[in-house]
Amino acid sequence: MTMKIIVGCKLVPEEQDIVVQADGSLDVSRATPKISPFDLNAIEAAVEVKGLVGEAHITALSVGDKTLENSKARKDILSRGPDAMTAVMDDAYTHLLPEQTAEVMATAAREIGFDLILCGDGSGDLLAQQVGTRLGALLDVATLSGVSKIVSADNGKLVVERALESEVEVLEVTLPAVISVSADINTPAIPGMKAILAAGKKPVGTMTPSALGVAQGTASVELLETKAPKQKERLNVMIEGDGEDQIAELVSHLRKILN
Amino acid sequence: MDFNLSDEQELFVAGVRELMERENWEAYFVECDEKHEYLLRWVKALAELGIDTMLLPEEHDGMDAGLVTLTAIWEELGRHGAPTYVLYQLPGFNTVLRHGTQEQIDKIFALRGTGEQMWNSAITEPSAGSDVGSLKTTYTRKDGKVYLNGHKCFITSSSHCPYLVVMARDSASPDSPVFSEWFVDMSKPGIKLNPLDEIGLRMDSCCEVIFDNVELEEKDMFGSEGNGFNRVKEEFDAERFLVACTNYGIALCAFEDAAKYANQRIQFGEAIGRTQLIQEKFAHMAIKLNAMKNMVYETAWKCDNGTVNSGDAAMCKYFCANAAFEVVDSAMQVLGGIGITGHRVGRFWRDLRVDRVSGGSDEMQILTLGRQVLKKYR
Repeated sequence: MTMKIIVGCKLVPEEQDIVVQADGSLDVSRATPKISPFDLNAIEAAVEVKGLVGEAHITALSVGDKTLENSKARKDILSRGPDAMTAVMDDAYTHLLPEQTAEVMATAAREIGFDLILCGDGSGDLLAQQVGTRLGALLDVATLSGVSKIVSADNGKLVVERALESEVEVLEVTLPAVISVSADINTPAIPGMKAILAAGKKPVGTMTPSALGVAQGTASVELLETKAPKQKERLNVMIEGDGEDQIAELVSHLRKILN
Repeated sequence: MDFNLSDEQELFVAGVRELMERENWEAYFVECDEKHEYLLRWVKALAELGIDTMLLPEEHDGMDAGLVTLTAIWEELGRHGAPTYVLYQLPGFNTVLRHGTQEQIDKIFALRGTGEQMWNSAITEPSAGSDVGSLKTTYTRKDGKVYLNGHKCFITSSSHCPYLVVMARDSASPDSPVFSEWFVDMSKPGIKLNPLDEIGLRMDSCCEVIFDNVELEEKDMFGSEGNGFNRVKEEFDAERFLVACTNYGIALCAFEDAAKYANQRIQFGEAIGRTQLIQEKFAHMAIKLNAMKNMVYETAWKCDNGTVNSGDAAMCKYFCANAAFEVVDSAMQVLGGIGITGHRVGRFWRDLRVDRVSGGSDEMQILTLGRQVLKKYR
């Protein structure tokens, strides 16, 4: 039996292209879209699971605005291992918050069908770290976040590790499940030229919220603005050496700032 | 005129950029350059992305990628300070497919994906540099075998290539020379290598190679008898283009290193980049880089469309080797003391100086180009 894997994949603006305005607001109009770095780990984990179970089909699921029409970004996603991609697009999805993203993803996931959904622990822009957990709750399936290793996978279950502060948990998860992976779970492979050439031939499906029948609930949280933190004046205090006195000096400086 | 790269080409470039930024390759390059060692780990990493076989036709599990794609990738690698000069062997897969026997093809194709050096032509001799017709190495048929005797020099990659394709003349025809090539397994008895201490391109090797009665079989002939010169002439244009492409990329790297430094180095209370003498250098460097970029992309495009001639390739190699040398030299001047005491621009400078001699000297490019240009108006 083919395992059906969905991997959540968000496009975020390339940080280097973001311009911080005088009032701290962000101009992303000239930023090229890129795959959220944490989702690269999720995609790699999906490829890893596919390798373990042998037969699996990976669908990359993206929710967003017209940015998802970017053909290079689509090929970039598909060159990294997914067999297909589904984009749920709407003009109102530019600054979607986790609550709505999870809602849309849940509806789309039911439509596509899944045994396993993999997500990054958070997104490269907002890093709210909620979508995976909310998605699991909405779908009412086993849900885990912070997974740092996939130990084994077969058609009914997954054994995974999760690094806690002072120990490593080993967990057996019965599928279906939603699993969010940590950024240190793997080093995503660089797609080879063959995979890049093949990406353009893989199927991409698009869905609209109305066709999907996404519930138009009222949001419990509203996004007012996203601003860059104010640049702090650096004090440029340099302490040379590593003796007791220097350490004490460092601590006294830190104290002064904290108080 | 469309200067845009396709999605796929942009993604290839993004891939090699990621590879170059994932670790401090520069430390490895420095080590290999110092020790005069081939940088296998780096070439293997590129081979894993498929770069070694990108030019091969699809029926041979390649990608049929053209030279415009190659230029975009080489540009990005060069910009990160990578010695793309060691990659000149990659089109060798296609050459072997065109001229090799099945046995020779199998031997070379066994090396795909490994990053190992494969083969190179051995033509140059002490008496035959630009004047290749004066070469003295002979092959002699005797008792069903073929014996190779002679002295080759300045043979690039000869330390690590398992095979050399050696140009030699038929000893049975001393008056009307017959030049043929032989596919020589370098582990055969009678072959002696004397490594040369080249000033640049040190991540590749360069040796004097002596063949003392090396026993070959008829089946070791590469291509057809008497076709040696025509076979290598076919390759000259591609080889010259690749040198130009390598030169442009490395000049871009030196330029960017120098530009960052100029904006940050304070002397007399301001960044040196704010002084007009430094700005003038950057203006000239930018002009040369732009001209090189346009020339290599145009030549690549012509190669891909089958309209390139040997004048184009000669122009490209001559201009890029010289313009890149000037750019790197200016970058070195901007970097001042740092530029001459272990900075990578010093390595580029040595490498580029070699490229004005090897792969066809500056003078030979000018002769080829001049002839080709006038031909059109005859």
